[in-house]
Amino acid sequence: MTARRGVAITGVGVVNAGVVGPSAALGAWLARPRPAPRTPGPRPAVRVPEATLSALVDGGEARRLSRVCQLTIAAARLAVGESGFDPNRDLSRGLGLVIGTELGDFTSTIAFADGYLARGPAGLSPLLFPNTVMNTMAATTAIAVVARELTLTLNVPTVAGELAIARAAAAVASGRADAVLAGGVDELNPLVGDMLEVLGDHDVRGEGAAFVMLEAESSARERGAPVLGRIHGTAWGSLPARPWGLGRRASSRAVAEALERARLGPPGWIYASASGDAERDAWEARVLADALGPASRPTSSLSPLLGHCAGVGALRVAAAAWTARSGLLPDDAGDEPTRVSGPGLVHGLARGGGHVALVVG
Amino acid sequence: MRRTVVTGLGVVSPFGAGVKAYWAGLAAGACAIRPLTLFEATGFRCGLAGEVPDAAGGSLRRTRADRLALTAAREALDDAGLDASERRGTALVVGAVGGGMFEAEAWYWARARGERVPGGVSALRTMLPGSHAAALGHRLRLEGPRQTVVTACSSGAVAVAEAADLVADGVVDVAIAGGVDALTRLCFMGFNALKLLDPEPCRPFDRDRRGMSIGEGAAFLVLEAAEHARARGARVYAELGGHGVTTDAFHVTAPQPDGGGMTRAMQAALGAAGVPATAVGYVNAHGTATPQNDRIEAQAIARVFGEGGVLVSSIKSMIGHAMAASGSLEAVATILALVHELLPPTASLVTPDPEVTFDCLPGVAREAAVECAISNSFGFGGQNVTLLFRRA
Repeated sequence: MTARRGVAITGVGVVNAGVVGPSAALGAWLARPRPAPRTPGPRPAVRVPEATLSALVDGGEARRLSRVCQLTIAAARLAVGESGFDPNRDLSRGLGLVIGTELGDFTSTIAFADGYLARGPAGLSPLLFPNTVMNTMAATTAIAVVARELTLTLNVPTVAGELAIARAAAAVASGRADAVLAGGVDELNPLVGDMLEVLGDHDVRGEGAAFVMLEAESSARERGAPVLGRIHGTAWGSLPARPWGLGRRASSRAVAEALERARLGPPGWIYASASGDAERDAWEARVLADALGPASRPTSSLSPLLGHCAGVGALRVAAAAWTARSGLLPDDAGDEPTRVSGPGLVHGLARGGGHVALVVG
Repeated sequence: MRRTVVTGLGVVSPFGAGVKAYWAGLAAGACAIRPLTLFEATGFRCGLAGEVPDAAGGSLRRTRADRLALTAAREALDDAGLDASERRGTALVVGAVGGGMFEAEAWYWARARGERVPGGVSALRTMLPGSHAAALGHRLRLEGPRQTVVTACSSGAVAVAEAADLVADGVVDVAIAGGVDALTRLCFMGFNALKLLDPEPCRPFDRDRRGMSIGEGAAFLVLEAAEHARARGARVYAELGGHGVTTDAFHVTAPQPDGGGMTRAMQAALGAAGVPATAVGYVNAHGTATPQNDRIEAQAIARVFGEGGVLVSSIKSMIGHAMAASGSLEAVATILALVHELLPPTASLVTPDPEVTFDCLPGVAREAAVECAISNSFGFGGQNVTLLFRRA
């Protein structure tokens, strides 16, 4: 196996209620972020308007594909398009794909079950059945972007988007892959919202997808690809906690290991997964303090602006690349950004103990 | 990159709990595909499944799938002889699809009928495949890197490949990996809706095969850096010599007609292991018994190994297709075949398909000492994986 390689971000694609487009669109939004509109009601949520999605997929795809698959493909195509990567031309080893999701295609699963409950065996839709398997987004996106190498779907609460990108970056850094499209996606579903509320997950839910194109930096430069940022080091682990519960321990190796792999000093700023779940957010703050020391660092989350979902977790990695380039960390209240410098940390901690750290510069 | 060996095995299968019961059933060529008892199957073309008897015990507060996973994972960790501190740093990679869908369905069905079910809407959380890793990590005090991979029917094998990478790259010295799936109404109904189930026990590679039999189970492997295993005097079952993971990018359910993705997975596994095709003596096939899969897989095997160049069998003929668990169940079977020098049969094979140019070991296990063997797993969405094992 070759020594660890530099991992470049060469494309970004974001589709959510607040911002849609490649890195330039994301950067323009981050420079002065505005909260995305929330649906009214007892549990506000941030939903991608149907018109937004219709503009991004063609009519055939809109008829054939479930909504969460459409969100995924739309964002994935934006990232691949910005990178200029052509899987049929650029590399003999082809393109990998890693997707993180917290909920998968819940909507199709419920619709499939409803078909049976309404009409018995005759009500079962063979077209819906494949969507009940959580890799449906990966299956359809792999076809859309011609990803023929490693394709993974990772499922974990809260940090699925960050974990997908960390996993993909590790594959590129180790030499197991030359190019991997990685990101996260989730779709809103009212029944799921009820479930998460009962489980103590009080986040304002959002939906959407975000992807980054990751390539070996040497390969990216050889083909003249844009280098929008770098992932210097990643690590993931778990802190002891009951499923969906909170842990007491704050000490974890993930941040230290990510920094060791990055071979850089402590980060100057942080994108955290804090999302309004007060107890989990407090746990995350303790874990960060334990890893980095008590001195506070400028920290942003973006969840208050966009709602929380796997897509926003992945968006934070793309945002971190923008922050490293621009020297600006957006304010979660939409006020003036904070000036920062150097690489930063993207951090995720989930109920149940899932823990991810990425050093991005 | 470090050599990776297998030092622990744990299984719950339709033959019962434990590796011993599993191997006894496979070696005997026994068929554990029987009439479904877990839920009502009236009105469906197929009413059979490879059902685990008594779901391996454990607290009924846990989902059926969690009980399967815990039993198998515990056996693997105990088998590997790891102490508490070694377990703490162990990585956990779980391949899953249905999660605790069986219990979530019960809640949803009751809700549709206007009945109350204890636990309320929180029962839905068990649907998520990631729930097993959370339960296993907590109960078994595993605090290393943790992942749940969902690649449909190849999930269990992909989990093993992922864990192998963590060990080979030096991220951890020890990982436990495998897959789990419990029978669910939705899965059973879905495959019936797709008309992919045989009303009789499935017959992989048979000329008259008519489709799959579904099943359930769990299997976990402890993977360890070879030098770490040697230093602590661990018993080594086999070496995981290499693996190949590819994607067809062709269709959401049907495999690529020319078997290109399957072929690349096998070739990648050989390349990673640094062995020629002639070194492989046995292929534990995905072998679902659908007309399409078996034909395409046989073509792909022929492309890699040459017609008739290797012995092939499918143990789905005995335990059914355990979905996310099948890849790891079959990995364990492949390892045990190397250890015992006995290749499990394709139990129900009566009339070999003339288009399948291999000896698929009809009916009876075959004594054979092979040096290398591979296990194929292919999932919806063209998610292909081949694991290559070498004798220790």
